[in-house]
Amino acid sequence: MRQLRILARVVVETFLGIKRSGWSNWLVISILAIALTIFGSVLQLTMSLKNLVNMWGSQLVISAFLSDKYEPREVARDVSQYKEVRLVEVITKDVAWEDMKKTLNAASISNPLPNTLHVTVNRADQVEALAPKLKLLPAIEAVRYPMMVVKRINEFRHFIEIAGVVVTGALTAATLTVIGNTIHLVIQARQKEIEILSLMGVGHFYIKCPFVLQGAFYGAVAATLAMLVLLTMHMYVIQPYLSQELASIAPLFPKNWGYNILQTFTVMLVLGVAVGAGGGAWTSGRYIKI
Amino acid sequence: MIRLQHVSKSYGGRPALKDINLHVALGEFAFLVGPSGAGKSTMMRLLYREEVPTSGSVFIGGVNLNRLSPRQIPLLRRRLGIIFQDYKLLTRQTAFDNVAYILRALGVDEKDVRKRVTSALNVVNLEDKADAFPDELSGGEQQRVGIARAIVNGPPVLLADEPTGNLDPATSLEIVQLLSRISERGTTVLISTHDHTIVDAMRRRVIALKNGELFSDVDSGVYDMDLTAV
Ligand SMILES: Nc1ncnc2c1ncn2[C@@H]1O[C@H](COP(=O)(O)OP(=O)(O)O)[C@@H](O)[C@H]1O
Ligand SMILES: [Mg+2]
Repeated sequence: MRQLRILARVVVETFLGIKRSGWSNWLVISILAIALTIFGSVLQLTMSLKNLVNMWGSQLVISAFLSDKYEPREVARDVSQYKEVRLVEVITKDVAWEDMKKTLNAASISNPLPNTLHVTVNRADQVEALAPKLKLLPAIEAVRYPMMVVKRINEFRHFIEIAGVVVTGALTAATLTVIGNTIHLVIQARQKEIEILSLMGVGHFYIKCPFVLQGAFYGAVAATLAMLVLLTMHMYVIQPYLSQELASIAPLFPKNWGYNILQTFTVMLVLGVAVGAGGGAWTSGRYIKI
Repeated sequence: MIRLQHVSKSYGGRPALKDINLHVALGEFAFLVGPSGAGKSTMMRLLYREEVPTSGSVFIGGVNLNRLSPRQIPLLRRRLGIIFQDYKLLTRQTAFDNVAYILRALGVDEKDVRKRVTSALNVVNLEDKADAFPDELSGGEQQRVGIARAIVNGPPVLLADEPTGNLDPATSLEIVQLLSRISERGTTVLISTHDHTIVDAMRRRVIALKNGELFSDVDSGVYDMDLTAV
């Protein structure tokens, strides 16, 4: 009960501090919101690409071409023992040849095609691990898989991740500076008051906590604003145009590839509050000498 | 209640207090006198742990203040009522809220806050000014708010550093008499001053400092004329 009343007082003191900060509140919140919007976009994009690669990747199939000396069904059984493998489909050389003859009209020559396995894996990142293993099997002469596409997407994703981390980092540093300055101003304006409180025996926690909460408040408001921006972008730009465009260019493109927006918001909120509270804690620790 | 043992304090090599030994008993009422620069405020700051002695030890209620960690300083100050020459009131808060501040910060429930603040304002005779802001009060009234704030948490020790320094003689005497009445309830009171009139009027213990040294210490004294003839 007592702790609750103290907490309630601290919250009241926090909002008095916010009220006194006036316009600089909005400066802090806008900068932090911009940083979080960029961070959120990057997060959303890389997570979506990761999803995409996973969903698409699991449709990707490793084609394994077999030596004629082995019985394809037996090889298929061996291959299906690998834990990465979800499905093995056997295309015998006869079936393949029949198919080909329909289009090529090359009836006079003997069948040049190998027996083929279409090996489907569980997850995209398993393709590259499994392919060389398959190639080591004596029965398998060659493997082929659309590695390049997945690789390109992954490279692009890594680039975005690194750029995102750098930009977010720079903006976070800028935000910390602005939060620090704002809270420093509040502390300066309250210097005499803080001195009085300290002489009256008011605890350090009670004196400093409002500044930490003020920072956390900035973080929460900025995260909410950033989320609104992201949601708007998602609803009016990405959803109607981009998704459809992509779908028409690449039919394989999975429809529902958006990373869960609630998770993005949670991460942004946590980051925003952490940066804000951290800035407040650092500034009050540095400038409140009691 | 208050004990100093071989306490010295220097600022950048210049001594402000030199080897002070002193004891003020529980419930005692004493003046700390001396001309400006004698070291009165320095001694007060040592007592409420705003400063630490360069050498020697300061005890309040048996606790060695040298050994207090920063976290324990607020606990010490809650057991002291501190009164200042410039009152040090929160200008944006009413008299009531000034007195109530520490109680609220300690999580005392509002009903109790109301009761205790009202009774403290009663002691200083300011019930009817509870809702006034400091700038709406006279100097004497502001100091009485300061005293109400100092006693609201029932501290065993009151420290007043030149509490009448900004007040006219009549008001000064009222304030000192008020502090004397409070001490009758068992509170140890130490008042620093260089105001002869109040010291002479009260005839209580007078501890005199001169150039940072303990010059005299008499049980029911007056302001020593030798002090002013430095
Ligand atoms: N913070 C300080 N820094 C340097 N010198 C100080 C400081 N505080 C007090 N002094 C010096 O210590 C001596 C005693 O000062 P003070 O305790 O304020 O005297 P009083 O309160 O009796 O007028 C003076 O010479 C003063 O200049
Ligand atoms: Mg002084």
